[in-house]
Amino acid sequence: MAETTLSDQMTARHAESFGARLTALRHGMTPWWFLLPAILFFAGYQAYPIFRVLWISFTDYQYLSSEPAKFVGLANYITAFNDPLMWASLWRAALFTIMFLPGTIILPLLLAILVDRVSNQRVATVYRVVLLIPAVIPSTLVFVLWKWMYNYQVGPINHLLVDIFGLFTLQNAPQWLGGTPLTLPAIAIMEVWWGLGYHTIFFLAGLAAIPRDLPEAARIDGASEWSIFWHITRPALAPIMMILVVLRFGTAMAVIDEYLIFGGFNRDSPTYTWTIFMYDQAFKLGLWRQGFAAAIGMIGAVGMMIVMIFLIRIFRPRG
Amino acid sequence: MTMVLASTERSAARVTPEPGWFRENRHAIIRHAIINFFMIVILAPLAWVLMMSIKSRSDAMRPDFWPRRFDFGHYAYVFDKIDTFPINLLNSIYVTTGTVIITTVCAVLAGYALVHMKPKGGGLIVAALLISLYFPTRVVSIISIYEIQDFLNLINSTSGLILPYVTLNLAISVLIMRSVFQLVPHEVVEAAEVDGAGPFRTLWEIVLPMARNGLVVIFIVNFVTAWGEFLLCSTLTNDQIARTMPVVLAGAQGGLGQWSWPALAAVYVLVVTPGIVAFTFAQKLFFKGLMEGVVKG
Repeated sequence: MAETTLSDQMTARHAESFGARLTALRHGMTPWWFLLPAILFFAGYQAYPIFRVLWISFTDYQYLSSEPAKFVGLANYITAFNDPLMWASLWRAALFTIMFLPGTIILPLLLAILVDRVSNQRVATVYRVVLLIPAVIPSTLVFVLWKWMYNYQVGPINHLLVDIFGLFTLQNAPQWLGGTPLTLPAIAIMEVWWGLGYHTIFFLAGLAAIPRDLPEAARIDGASEWSIFWHITRPALAPIMMILVVLRFGTAMAVIDEYLIFGGFNRDSPTYTWTIFMYDQAFKLGLWRQGFAAAIGMIGAVGMMIVMIFLIRIFRPRG
Repeated sequence: MTMVLASTERSAARVTPEPGWFRENRHAIIRHAIINFFMIVILAPLAWVLMMSIKSRSDAMRPDFWPRRFDFGHYAYVFDKIDTFPINLLNSIYVTTGTVIITTVCAVLAGYALVHMKPKGGGLIVAALLISLYFPTRVVSIISIYEIQDFLNLINSTSGLILPYVTLNLAISVLIMRSVFQLVPHEVVEAAEVDGAGPFRTLWEIVLPMARNGLVVIFIVNFVTAWGEFLLCSTLTNDQIARTMPVVLAGAQGGLGQWSWPALAAVYVLVVTPGIVAFTFAQKLFFKGLMEGVVKG
């Protein structure tokens, strides 16, 4: 109702210079001029590529081959499902997710509950700034930083383990990166460090929404800290918890940069997950079998989405 | 004599309340101890790199945190001796600036249109943006993006990186601006339009200043992503000279000469500092924007 009057007014105002119809049309089109730049980018570099890759996955497309691609139906998917490497690579991604996800949710939750109780505003601000510093370090620089942390020559982690705690000698000091069995836990630790502060800030925002007197009243009534957490804090944080679990599950299953930098293309490496399998096929091996690579990518992506739907159902706030 | 007495008195006065004070504040002390432990864990790796960048070369291979001899010359050295360093740094600045400006313009216009111009089918767009956040687009679409860039003759082109970079955070940026614009009452927009301001002037002069915090958030989020992007840059460019600094740094192996450890660390400090400094200055606006845009959205 308000909109009609508004557009009527606009129409009346412009009626002299433009035809009334033209103005009405322009008025109706304006939102789309505003949306156009975003839609162009989104369509060109996000929506189109997904459908293009879906189409490629049904062909025998090889990027460097001069022969035109032929439609092969589900052949790539059948090849992929019969390849033990497909299953191994999916399992490796899941394994990493299992190592990473609990730590990146529980630690920030505990930290947020502690920081939330800091009453001195100035101290609390300092804590918040420090917490968010890793979140403003660009991804590649986080990987470079931790590549050095884990370095066996100069890295401080092995220095702590060997020289300070004496748990290892230089000969048997752990080899963290490069596709060893320790590579996945090492990357998981790095990722938990990276997200620690950011996730804490998210939980803090949720905690700030709880009215201050609610837990205090419960405490006066003799409720234990645990029951306050379970009946007041946990329900208040449930929506944030769900978003973090689902989004971080998504990032963890689709990790690729870290595996490229820390693991390489050794098929036996625990970092050779479905993302690396896809990349290897698409840009490294033979004539770049992108039809097959696209099928691998689609299997990984759709598999992930299915688990995500279950996660949303499990973590959806109730009541 | 009096002085000794006075000092014992004073120390006695300081000592007596201690047991009670500790017991009363036990929870607070443990709390701050745990928080500070995590603060140290967060800051330690950065402190380590900072120290590495000012160590003398002979101390670099020694594991001690504190060097025997300081050498601040590595910062000048990397500009002089690593021939591609200034170029890679300029590439980073160029690509990041382009990405941040284009994404911000797209996100502001789209977010505003979705909230205050209510186009038909706007809900569909929001749904598409939301779904794209959950789909591993970045990984799967790389196959097709390589093809697009090759078709546009943009393989190995630094400028060409801006196009896919814009899309990396476009969806989340539009959604953030959308939730921030939702906090601006629609009456404000209507009043401006009744006063004869066109939609563009209403946005620029009236609504955008009210959305400052959200702008800071998408500035920082897009800066961080573009500055540190690895997958697209290393796939779509081949020559070191076309790449951004972090990608070159990721490929560098610590060793001797121009890539000695302190030199690498100095490069690292130079590349990581702008983001941290910008964030520290903008943190107040950033936190407000984060609450308005992300948490409520």
